[in-house]
Parts: sequence; C-alpha cells; structure tokens
Amino acid sequence: MKTKVTREEGQITIEFTGRLDTPAAQEANPEITPLLDEADKTIIIDCKELTYISSSGLRIFLTIRKAAEDRKGKVIVQNINNDIRSVFMMTGFLNLFEIR
Amino acid sequence: MSQSTQLDPHCMAIMQEYRDRRPLFAEAELKIAALLRQSLKEAGIHLASIESRIKTEDSLEGKLERKGNKYKSLADITDILGVRLITYYIDDVDKVATAIERLFDVDWENSIDKRKLHDIDSFGYLSLHYVCKMKDFPYRFEIQMRTVLQHAWANLDHDTGYKSGVEIPKRYMRSMSRLAGMLELIDEEFSRIRSELTDYRRKIHKLVSSGNLDEVPLDGDSFRSFLGLDPFRQINRKIAAVNQAEIQEVSLLPYLAVFKGIGCKTLGDIHNIIKDNFEGAYQIACYQMGLTDLDIVSSSIGPQNLCIAYILKKGWGKGGVRYFFDLLNGKEESNETVAEMIVEQAKDLPFMNQQ
Repeated sequence: MKTKVTREEGQITIEFTGRLDTPAAQEANPEITPLLDEADKTIIIDCKELTYISSSGLRIFLTIRKAAEDRKGKVIVQNINNDIRSVFMMTGFLNLFEIR
Repeated sequence: MSQSTQLDPHCMAIMQEYRDRRPLFAEAELKIAALLRQSLKEAGIHLASIESRIKTEDSLEGKLERKGNKYKSLADITDILGVRLITYYIDDVDKVATAIERLFDVDWENSIDKRKLHDIDSFGYLSLHYVCKMKDFPYRFEIQMRTVLQHAWANLDHDTGYKSGVEIPKRYMRSMSRLAGMLELIDEEFSRIRSELTDYRRKIHKLVSSGNLDEVPLDGDSFRSFLGLDPFRQINRKIAAVNQAEIQEVSLLPYLAVFKGIGCKTLGDIHNIIKDNFEGAYQIACYQMGLTDLDIVSSSIGPQNLCIAYILKKGWGKGGVRYFFDLLNGKEESNETVAEMIVEQAKDLPFMNQQ
C-alpha cells in the first residue's frame, strides 16, 4: 500500500495505491494526520489505484471528511472502482462524499 | 484643523480635551462593541451589523462652530463615541434596547425614540437612540438601534439631502415619505412572517411529538423535528448488529428531498415506509454485509435501505433505485451501476417475494 500526497494551490491530492486494510490504514495515518490542519482546502482522494478498502480505510475517509466539515473545506473522492463503490453503498457512505 | 474654521478659546479647549482623550475613547469603543456582541449573542439576537465610530476632528470642529456655546466641556457632547446596531427584524430593536439597558446606564433625559416622534399620518426617520454611560469611562456615548430597512432609508435620505437644510421640491419630499411608509410596512410584514413561522414550527413540533404524523405535511421544519425523534435508530441498530458495527452519526437532512421525490407528502408516509420495509431493509443489509468484515456504517444506511426496499417492493426496479441515488447523490452515471448491483442482489431476497 502506498500513500502519495501532492499539493497544488488551494488543493491537496491524496492517492492511495493497493489495499487499504487495517495495517495499511495504520501506516497511512501519520501521513494523513498533518493534512487535517489544512482541511479548509479542497482535498481530493484519488482512488484510481485503490483495489480494496476495509473498515479502517473507511475510518480514514471519515476522519478527512470530519476535518473538512469543521474547517469548511471540501472532500472529493475520485476514480473509485465498482468494488469500492459497493463498499461505500452497503455502509451508507455513498452520500457522504462528492464522488466523481 | 481646517484653515477656514475660527473657534473661540472655549471651543479650542474642548478640541484639545478631545485630542488628549481620543485613546480613551478608542479603548472604550472596543470594550463597548465586545460587551454588546457578547450580550446579544447570549440573548440569541442576530444582528445584521454592529458599527461604531469616534467622531472625527473635522466633524467635532463643525459641531462646535455651529453650537459650541451649548457645551461646557467635552463631557457634554454625547456623540463623540457612537455605536449603531442594525437588526433584521423590527421587534428585535426593542430586545436590543432591553439588553443595552441591562449593560449600561441609560441617560433617559437625553435618549430619544424617534419612532414615536412621527404624527400618525407622517413617515420618516425611525430609530431608537440611547445615550449611555459605562463604569470606568467618564464620557457618555450614543447607541442607535434600527432595522436594516430603516438603516437603508436613513442612508438614502441623507444622500438625497432631505435633511441637509437645503429645501428640495415637495414632490421629492413626498416620495421619500412614501418610501418610508412602504419600508415601515415591509418591516412589520417581515416580523409578522417570522412570528407566524415560529408558531407553525411550534405546532409541527407538537404534532410530531404527539405522534400525529399523518397530519404533518413533509417540509424542512417538520422533517427536522421528525429527525429529532431519531426515527431510523431502530433500523440502524438492527443493520449494525449484522457485523457488530459502529454507527457513525451523519446528517440525514439530504433524505428530505429523497422522501419527497419518492412521493411522501406527510411524516406519516415516512413512518409507514419505516414500518412496512423494516424487514426488507434488514435483509438487504444482511445480504450485502453478512459476508464481509465491515464494522462501520453511517446512520444513513437505515433510510437508504428502507427507501430501496420500498422502491423494489413497489416494482419500480432499476430505474427507481437509480432515481433514488440521483435524488440522494445528484445525477451520476455511476448511480446506474449501483442500481444494477442492488437489483441483482435483491431479486432473491425473501421480502421481494412476499407481496
């Protein structure tokens, strides 16, 4: 699992690659936590290379959403495959994010 | 000081006192504004704005030039420091006044309610002016209170020179007066609408609390009250229990458009959807989550599955489910994929075969 963070003006893109399961989520957390202070910006979570998401992964998405909500920012989830879309749907997460 | 002004020594002394005491006024300005903001916030009064200013040197000089003999010292001039509170509603002006009476000592002799100065057949400047005193500040200050519309009229009136002493044609004066009357009427209408809305909300809340849901039309206010009863708690808990999942509470207000979109007219209609589709919603969750280890759901899952079960039982099929997600998430091509997935999953579920 790899997490890549890139910053452009007023926008942060987080790219998850591989399986976002419990160990991977623990690994990703230190990279995500500092971003929460910048959640007043638009945060794009790019899932193009994300193949699997567990509950721990969903919690990361929720943490980012909460920070963005508190700081009047915006979260966009993009390029999710049908398996991950299905996980979002069955957990009631589908309408919590702007999904592109 | 402007070159053209010639003040007598008495007025010059007042001017000097003003210059010496200006920092004190600046300090008081901040303190008064902070006290007002805090107090009005606690009283739940929303203001359009708070403005404050310290009289400029030129303005004071002009005043002294015109009527300097009227004042013995700077303390006799009550508008060196002025604050203006602009409310949205006319009945908030009196509430603001009450808050000010509690905060400061009001010099009633010099305060004036310009709203009461007009004859019954005349219209014009409406504002409440209080001259106040505050502990540890030796000077009086003025607080003006008025509504946004009164404020707009006062500014326009000032701009047209209506009160500048220059005589303007009677027909323009009549137009300004007519406008003032109209704004007064609008101000009262806004307050009346607010009162009626508050009464409506109370009535709806009472009906919701007493369970007379069939009598409650579905709208933003009633839906909010309904959500206060936590109507999806039971289905969310039942679904969460499938995997001993944690429930993340999220706003369910987006479901107002969904329930309206699928034909609900009253809260009773939503109540019936919950009652009649509870089992179907649970079966969908069991099928989808039962073989996973997902142990987190959002509180949106209950209403989502209830709506899906309702739509499928109605025979609205894939198009109906897609319409549901279009209402909830906005129109997206991917909603078609999700709808297809759900219809495929649900076709063998027991609720689909129990009519």
